[in-house]
Amino acid sequence: MTIDDAVTRPPAWAEWLLRLVLREDDRDSVSGDLLEEFRESIVPALGARANAWYVRQVAGFVAREIWPCAAVVAATCVVRYLFDTLLPIKYTPGVIAERSAVMTWTLIATVTSCAAWHAWRTRRLGAALVIVILATFVGGLLAQAGTLLCFAVRHDPATVAAIEGSGGFGEAFIDPSIGLAIAAGVVGLPGAIAGRLARAVYGWSSANTKSA
Amino acid sequence: MSDVLGAFEQAVLLGIVRLGDEAYGRAILKEVQARLDRDVAPGAVHATLERLERKKLVASKLGSGTPIRAGRARRYYRLTPAAVRALNDARAAADSIWRGLKWPLTAKRSPA
Repeated sequence: MTIDDAVTRPPAWAEWLLRLVLREDDRDSVSGDLLEEFRESIVPALGARANAWYVRQVAGFVAREIWPCAAVVAATCVVRYLFDTLLPIKYTPGVIAERSAVMTWTLIATVTSCAAWHAWRTRRLGAALVIVILATFVGGLLAQAGTLLCFAVRHDPATVAAIEGSGGFGEAFIDPSIGLAIAAGVVGLPGAIAGRLARAVYGWSSANTKSA
Repeated sequence: MSDVLGAFEQAVLLGIVRLGDEAYGRAILKEVQARLDRDVAPGAVHATLERLERKKLVASKLGSGTPIRAGRARRYYRLTPAAVRALNDARAAADSIWRGLKWPLTAKRSPA
């Protein structure tokens, strides 16, 4: 059978992303399965809409990898918003409030461990960083949706004053997705390096154990 | 005691049984879709296979690729003895809880 690549090739960026987030052991077999399904079943059935199907499948694979980290990021931000609006405190410039420290360290621990795990799993630093950046971006979007929902339910003058006193509307509703994603790229790097190194050491020691 | 299997896990494992030596990712996906009579995401089957492999219910090995897959290897799956035990237990449990009931069930009108 001859394959006309120009006609039956899924979007290159989607294939790249899929192969990036897969475990090294599954990279060829899973992307091959999806390509086979795309070419044999989906293109004949859907024609021009086949690419959208492929992108949806890749989004499903990516979502399975990012959701735990995204959920923790979103929950942390929403809980912080609730603390700041329901139990407001007076923030002093230059002094880190206890709740700010708890939130920051929770996010750092989440991003670092997520990056370490994905570097271990995929054996790629780049994959780990892309996953934590996507996860925190999506987590930030979920946080924005959550805080907007909370604000829609409760938006009395005291709540507005509490939001303005704790960093303003920008910090509550706009910054999380982009701001956190940028920070995750930086914070995630040490975690990714640790995960990759741990995998290399584990691989080296198990290879030596087998050959001994 | 063997692992307790979910319905989707059973569908995947029985798909592997039916496919025999041809049980690789896409073939399992097609088999599961046909048996469950619904659209199933390839990612869902892959995640289940990964979980089953972690639980040591399936083992896998790489085979050769084909042109339609751009030469990428197929991963073939087979059941482990633990999976056979778990499937038999699941079937026995289902038979036991259905025993004495007529299938399909019919909805009884509730008393007014």
